[in-house]
Amino acid sequence: MKQHPLCTDCESPVTPLELPVPAAVKQKWAAIETRRRFLGRSGKVLGWAALAGLFGRMGLPGYADGTDVGDDAGGLPHFAPRAKRAIYLFMSGGPPQMDLFDYKPNLASQFNNDMPDSVRGNQQLTGMTAGQAHFPVAPAHWPFAQHGQTGTWVSELLPYTARIVDDLTIIKTTNTDAINHEPAIMLMNTGNMNAGKPCLGAWLAYGLGSMNDNLPTFVVLQTKTNTKENNQPVSSRLWSSGFLSSQYAGVGLRSGADPVLYLADPAGVDRGVRRKMLDTVEQINRQTLADVGDPETNARIAQYEMAFRMQSSVPELVDLSREPQSTWELYGPEAKQPGTFAYNCLLARRMAERGVRFTQIYKRGWDVHDNVVGVLPVLCKETDRGTYALVIDLKRRGLLDDTLVIWAGEFGRTVYSQGGLTQENYGRDHHPRCFTTWMTGGGVRPGITYGETDDYSYNVVKDPVHVRDFNATILHCLGIDHNKFTYKFQGLDQKLTSPVPAFVVQGLLA
Amino acid sequence: MIGTQKFTGAIRTLRSSVVPSQWLYTVGVIVLLLALPFVVRLNGKPHADWLQFLGRFHPSLVHLPIGMLVLLPLLEVAGTRRTSLRDAAGFVLHLILATAAVTVVFGIFLAYGSGVMGTTVNRHMWGGIVLMIELFLCVTVRPAWISGQSPRAYPAVLTVSLLTLTWTAHQGGSLTHGSGYLTRYAPGPLKRLFPSASGASDAAYVGSAYTRYIHPIFDAKCVACHGENKETGGLRLDFYDLLMQGGKDGAVIAPQNPDRSILLQRVTLSPSDRHFMPAEGRTPLTAEEIATLRAWILAGASPTATSVSGITRTAKNADLPLQPVGDYSYLINDIRQMQVSDGAKLVPVSAKASDGLILRTINVASKFDDAQLVRFQRFAPFIVEAELGRTAVTDASLETLSKFTNLRALHLEGTAITGRTLAKLSSLSQLIYLNLSGTKVTSDSLAPLKGMSRLQHIYVFDTPAEPVFRTTAVQSGRTQ
Repeated sequence: MKQHPLCTDCESPVTPLELPVPAAVKQKWAAIETRRRFLGRSGKVLGWAALAGLFGRMGLPGYADGTDVGDDAGGLPHFAPRAKRAIYLFMSGGPPQMDLFDYKPNLASQFNNDMPDSVRGNQQLTGMTAGQAHFPVAPAHWPFAQHGQTGTWVSELLPYTARIVDDLTIIKTTNTDAINHEPAIMLMNTGNMNAGKPCLGAWLAYGLGSMNDNLPTFVVLQTKTNTKENNQPVSSRLWSSGFLSSQYAGVGLRSGADPVLYLADPAGVDRGVRRKMLDTVEQINRQTLADVGDPETNARIAQYEMAFRMQSSVPELVDLSREPQSTWELYGPEAKQPGTFAYNCLLARRMAERGVRFTQIYKRGWDVHDNVVGVLPVLCKETDRGTYALVIDLKRRGLLDDTLVIWAGEFGRTVYSQGGLTQENYGRDHHPRCFTTWMTGGGVRPGITYGETDDYSYNVVKDPVHVRDFNATILHCLGIDHNKFTYKFQGLDQKLTSPVPAFVVQGLLA
Repeated sequence: MIGTQKFTGAIRTLRSSVVPSQWLYTVGVIVLLLALPFVVRLNGKPHADWLQFLGRFHPSLVHLPIGMLVLLPLLEVAGTRRTSLRDAAGFVLHLILATAAVTVVFGIFLAYGSGVMGTTVNRHMWGGIVLMIELFLCVTVRPAWISGQSPRAYPAVLTVSLLTLTWTAHQGGSLTHGSGYLTRYAPGPLKRLFPSASGASDAAYVGSAYTRYIHPIFDAKCVACHGENKETGGLRLDFYDLLMQGGKDGAVIAPQNPDRSILLQRVTLSPSDRHFMPAEGRTPLTAEEIATLRAWILAGASPTATSVSGITRTAKNADLPLQPVGDYSYLINDIRQMQVSDGAKLVPVSAKASDGLILRTINVASKFDDAQLVRFQRFAPFIVEAELGRTAVTDASLETLSKFTNLRALHLEGTAITGRTLAKLSSLSQLIYLNLSGTKVTSDSLAPLKGMSRLQHIYVFDTPAEPVFRTTAVQSGRTQ
């Protein structure tokens, strides 16, 4: 039986010229196969290769080689920073600003009135409320009171946070471009609604480098979910390093009792054996790097080494047995249970002491589309004391001078009720035009409330702070000029604040 | 027809006999040039955008005639040997004249279009006009020099032109870069020859809130463009009377009415707004500065009032500028070596070397002891922050640390410091932050630190000293 010409395992191999292709094409192939052409082309290739070699990194935009910029004295920080590290308390889901910080006393009289169309303008709403015939105003269910020397209004849901208002820089006019969770949370964290860009923590790890070689530069802590709450998923995209080397990505610690699985050496394997094994693995990796030249291999080598060092540093980090009694008095008994928000806050303080550059704590469940009255007190109770304790603890230990603490969600919520409004309950939809965030610590001005919203907590009236400006200001506190802090990728000088102009908000700075 | 011919003939006779024809042109042009500033009056008002568009080419165009004018004397000297170069010099001179004329026109476009005025602007403009006149004179007297009729006139006029050029160019440079640009980094003795004029203020209002709080803000952020040398928009902020007089849009301060005060409006706009001040990316006013201005305007914008409610700022020692550290570049190899080693590291505070170094021990904290610290003594003048928290240092290290005279922040939390020898730290005149949390210090041992003028933040959490400090140190976190 005659073999098919394309068969790969025939005994006498087929040359391309035997393939059933038109004669004209075969002639072209034959013309290519000349010695002159071969030499000419290889010469050109060599020339280009030499040029690429001469230009090195400069000539290959987007080539992440994993070198640590932060250790390069030439670059960063651009100027003396006010904060060396940051702790970001991320309230995923979008906390309702008018129920917590943005006090609107005149709304009480508007109960169940339709929000005037002029307030909403031509805004496109989410699919969840766009079909509503009415937009009934739902005033905050809880009373507000003035606190601190600054007399800042805070809802009774946050009795602990109310005690530290004199230290906070409250921004009532944070605003974003996105109205749905995923784009909004990506924009907040990476400066871009689409996936693939590095997040704030990765930028900081890349730019400022590590302070402690034995712990990751950027740690992500997740709070255990409460099934009563409407938990929007958070994914590792949010702490990804995007186009930067993956060694700058956030290292997630588990919210269970064992923060890193399989961290302890198995029975019969001592530290020396482990070291020997890792050294051999590294040799193999270096071989791969030499063969393939993929910069990600560097990242893998760095991660193996980090894991080895974390074997001794992480158990010490999470060993709370030597915390003084005053710690438990401050954070409350909940802080003893791994995975609670208070526990994560305590870990964040311990990491700040140990030189972790950026810690981000995620608390999900703020997506209160319905049953605000039932769920919001639970959310506040879970987070309020831990937040307060973290700020006070950093402050009394002298850490708040050079640590920036940030409290934010990805957007706010609507003043009008989603679904039915009753005297007892209401729901709130996503709202990008204004939401309340706060910062405290190194670089920001304590005891101020920045920006004003309209009577419906719907539009910004004065001093808007776009997400880009918010991120630019955070970078400024850490000594970074956001316009200069770029990374060439896909032909663009990429930056956290995107190519759209962003401004450091001078009014927030100390 | 015949009459006209007779007339021109008469003129020709007159020219050739009485005045060389060239002179007639020259005098005419000089008169025109001298009249120019009186025709195009700089009144501080901006004019058509196209004027500014063309005018902005002035700073780059200006270098063409400058370069050629510097070349000209070289050509003339070389021309005594080679006549071809002398011919070239003549051509170059005409080229200078042509390009200089365009440059002057563009310069006037720039000033008139953007509405700047001021002493330096005036000087620069007149310098340019005088230079043009001198160049015309050069063209006029050069033929007589070549023919040997008058050997002195041309070299003299050319020399004066070069001097005028230098002076005018300096005025132009001061407009672009600011008046202190050239001498700012001059060596000390040289610098004293050029007294700095900045910071001038009303002598009449010494001690008033205006002099103490308001004028320094204008001086730092505004006077570069709204001062004696450059009065953009006809507005000057360097003296009280001129401030109140306002600019082309009238008064900029409405006493007791901050919201109506144009000045306050312009500095509080969004930075992306084209009317935002300070313009063109210069450092904006801080929130505190804006609050101070607002309070002062609200209180009536008086030049004499000594206290204004709302301005509570007192000159704190901590607000004094930080002392820059010296040049440590000769140690840079040792510092780099340390950064890649496993031991303690010296890390630059920022890209600016004069911000100093941080001593970071966290990787080796448990092994970092008194002897290790001694090894860093040679870097002592450059270290502004020592992170010695949870290290093995003891009281003996305070002796070593007393030589780290540039220290601003000192972390000793969680160490075996007992506080008995804390007095040794009193030599650290720059120290702002001292963390003694988790040590054995007592309130008595802290007493010697009271005299340290800059020291603002002492942390004594979890120490025997804490109860005494509780009301201040713990509740407010910091103490003086």
